[in-house]
Amino acid sequence: MTATLRRMAIGSQRRTELLRGVLDLCLLAVMDEGPAYGYEMTKRLRDRGLAIVGEGSIYPLLGRLERDGLVETYRAASNGGPPRKYYRPSSTGRLALALGVSEWRAARDAVDAVLAPVKIEVAS
Amino acid sequence: MSDFVEQCRSEWRRLGVADPLAEEMAADLASDLREAEAEGVSAEEYLGSSVFDPRSFAASWAAERGIVPSPPSRGNARFRPLVLVAFTALAAIALIVAALLLLTGQPRVSVVASRTTRPLFPTPPPGSFGPSGPSRVVLHTSASAPIEWILLLFAIVALGFAAWLWSRWGRSRPPTATA
Repeated sequence: MTATLRRMAIGSQRRTELLRGVLDLCLLAVMDEGPAYGYEMTKRLRDRGLAIVGEGSIYPLLGRLERDGLVETYRAASNGGPPRKYYRPSSTGRLALALGVSEWRAARDAVDAVLAPVKIEVAS
Repeated sequence: MSDFVEQCRSEWRRLGVADPLAEEMAADLASDLREAEAEGVSAEEYLGSSVFDPRSFAASWAAERGIVPSPPSRGNARFRPLVLVAFTALAAIALIVAALLLLTGQPRVSVVASRTTRPLFPTPPPGSFGPSGPSRVVLHTSASAPIEWILLLFAIVALGFAAWLWSRWGRSRPPTATA
């Protein structure tokens, strides 16, 4: 039982590590669909099955993207709510997104090539 | 949740984040948390483990935005306590030595300020008879200041400075990160 729980924790940790490396790309991708504020981005990610619970908040990452000039921001009123800070990729951000997606696909294909032959058998 | 935002705000204030920026971040965070709550998403679901450590969360956000100086490198931070301990120990030793000297009264050492008058007559030219040094030197001694008291004063000032450094170091230590 303990070993099973430990394996589950390791699996969760691996998922966190994997996501940490590409979360900036995911944020750039969802804001490229249309400007979005912080919570709106997490909703877009969640709608695609990417819940970021446990990976920490997106705010420090958005702060870094802003500092690096990869996003542009502006304030505008949300739907009946207070003014929100909207993010959208800058031209540099779009370039970074394109390069990042290319790197991700290459890495994913390489890992798939290694892992694809592995047969998964779950003992009952 | 307003408590979480308030703690973030006070951390930004402590870190020296400009008020307009801190207010902007606090307002955005509060709005997002309200919207999440209205949709049935708890703060823990939304912020993850950060919700338990608002200070780290706020510091991390501000640092990533580049609006506060980055924390000092680990190498310097590791040796800082050692340097502080050494400095405090030296000051304490100086205090003890000064106290012992004052209590025993031995040895009696004084700092003597001296003043030397310039010779009234120039040195005789080479080849002439007579002494080759200054023809007249007069020494004046001023009132002496026992070195024990100076050492005691120095030790007290040094200990006060050490106490200030310790309190500053304690405040500047980053909160324990949990995320």
